[in-house]
Amino acid sequence: MAAELARRGLADHRRALAGWCVGIAAYCLLVASIFPSIKGSEAITTLVRNYPDALKSLFGISSAGDLSSGAGFIDAELFSLILPLLVLVLAIGSGARTLAGEEEAGRLELVLAYPVRRRDAVLAKGAAVAAEILLASVTGLLALLVLDPVFGLGLSLGRLAAAMGALAALGLLYGWLALALGAWVPSKLVALAAPAGYAAAAYLVSGLHSLAGWLDPLRFLSPFWLIGASPLQEGVDGWGVLVVLAAAAAVLGAGAVLVERRDLEVP
Amino acid sequence: MAAPAIETRGLTKVYGSVRAVTELELRVEAGEVFGYLGPNGAGKSTTIRMLLDLIHPTSGAASVLGLDSRRDGVEARRRVGYLPGDLRLNDRMTAREQLDSLARLRGGVDDGLRGELCDRFGVVLDRPIRQLSKGNRQKVGVVQAFMHRPRLLVLDEPTSGLDPLLQAEFRSLVRETAADGRTVFLSSHSLDEVQHVADRIGIIRAGRLVDVDAVGRLRERALRHVAIVFAEPVDPERFGRLDGVRLEISDRTTVRLSAPERAIDPIVKEASRHAVVDFVSQPADLEELFLELYDEGSDGG
Repeated sequence: MAAELARRGLADHRRALAGWCVGIAAYCLLVASIFPSIKGSEAITTLVRNYPDALKSLFGISSAGDLSSGAGFIDAELFSLILPLLVLVLAIGSGARTLAGEEEAGRLELVLAYPVRRRDAVLAKGAAVAAEILLASVTGLLALLVLDPVFGLGLSLGRLAAAMGALAALGLLYGWLALALGAWVPSKLVALAAPAGYAAAAYLVSGLHSLAGWLDPLRFLSPFWLIGASPLQEGVDGWGVLVVLAAAAAVLGAGAVLVERRDLEVP
Repeated sequence: MAAPAIETRGLTKVYGSVRAVTELELRVEAGEVFGYLGPNGAGKSTTIRMLLDLIHPTSGAASVLGLDSRRDGVEARRRVGYLPGDLRLNDRMTAREQLDSLARLRGGVDDGLRGELCDRFGVVLDRPIRQLSKGNRQKVGVVQAFMHRPRLLVLDEPTSGLDPLLQAEFRSLVRETAADGRTVFLSSHSLDEVQHVADRIGIIRAGRLVDVDAVGRLRERALRHVAIVFAEPVDPERFGRLDGVRLEISDRTTVRLSAPERAIDPIVKEASRHAVVDFVSQPADLEELFLELYDEGSDGG
């Protein structure tokens, strides 16, 4: 029944999803392959130490760590920006497309004329979005697990898994936010733009809150700050991840309630 | 007594300042084929979407097969087959995949019936839907509406894009469905699409139901065009005074008029008082009646 919508959601995005997974694995390979050439390099450590604090903060370069260790390097090159960016673009795109996009294309009318409760449709589509994010995260995890011994990254398996898990939680929050916005208002633009704007703002707050005092109280609203900025060097914040997951569930639940109240938009 | 297939009570939908459907009182009995006719934008699709709980009425209520369209919407839709007026399918899927997916969404359908329908309408099953013509897509829509043997079919402009042969096939499918005791609600802007299959026709204009009548009765009400040629000059007013008769252009020996069925006999009797050279009565034109009803009040509100 409604489970068919989850199945179809995944099937509709399978090509795009495969592309994302290949892209994530390829980028991991690219970054990891650079590591041996700067491993233990004093020059790079000195260079980075001289970066402005704001830059270090934004790129996840912790005060203690440095780019010449595997964990520091992967934190700065993957987990600080590129991996969250890839996962969030996938998540927001998928969340916006599966409901708001289908509605704008006029394909929701026939589906909702079937014996399917709207909120079940939202939840089923939420499950499909979650599965996509999980697949992309697991791909990244597997890629780094394979690359770790090859390029001598020396990563902690536990921290790597936790970092990918936290990343998946982040993706879930933004993907479900896009889905829920589409459930609330019939606009793909809103479903794309609002989570993207929130992500950009939250990223900046997480990176800069310690430098700009007035941003400091806002850090609790930043999912990036909640999960921790240097997951391989300092570990992820387990409670923060739980808060992010709870927020994701609340947002999806709100979408499931709100979708029942409005009219379907037909082109 | 069985619950009516469709019943609306004061059903109203307002968009901003536009009243799309106003105080609709509609009753469609189980087992009948009901034609829902009206010009584009009259509120036909809006009515249908309220029946299926796709949009919510501003006021009033609707029941479908005795189930409240809002409270028991899922149960109601389980028993309904719907063909949207503007059918949008998943372009990347083949028709087979699309029908498989819709069948699962329904929780299973009669596979034998589905196969029969596909054969009957010649559905192109194994090409992506984006490669199909409008007519071939419409066939997929027809199959998905009928494939679970629903108690009620709600079909919005169902034959658009179908060739005449398939339109005839479609009409016989509708007749079989009614003969099976099931109900068909057929919405269209074209009289032609419904007059040969519908038992009753409801006409909606600017969101209001302006007339509901049996097709046979509508035919009786529709005007015939009569021309009578006399051997000698006559007074046309003698015909104009007959009940229901409207005089058209006449000269001294030829009388042209339009009249409903019941006025034909008095006309013939009046004409027989003179020597008649020719008498021509053209068959009733329902289309004209509809144009009149479509038009009625559009000036007065």
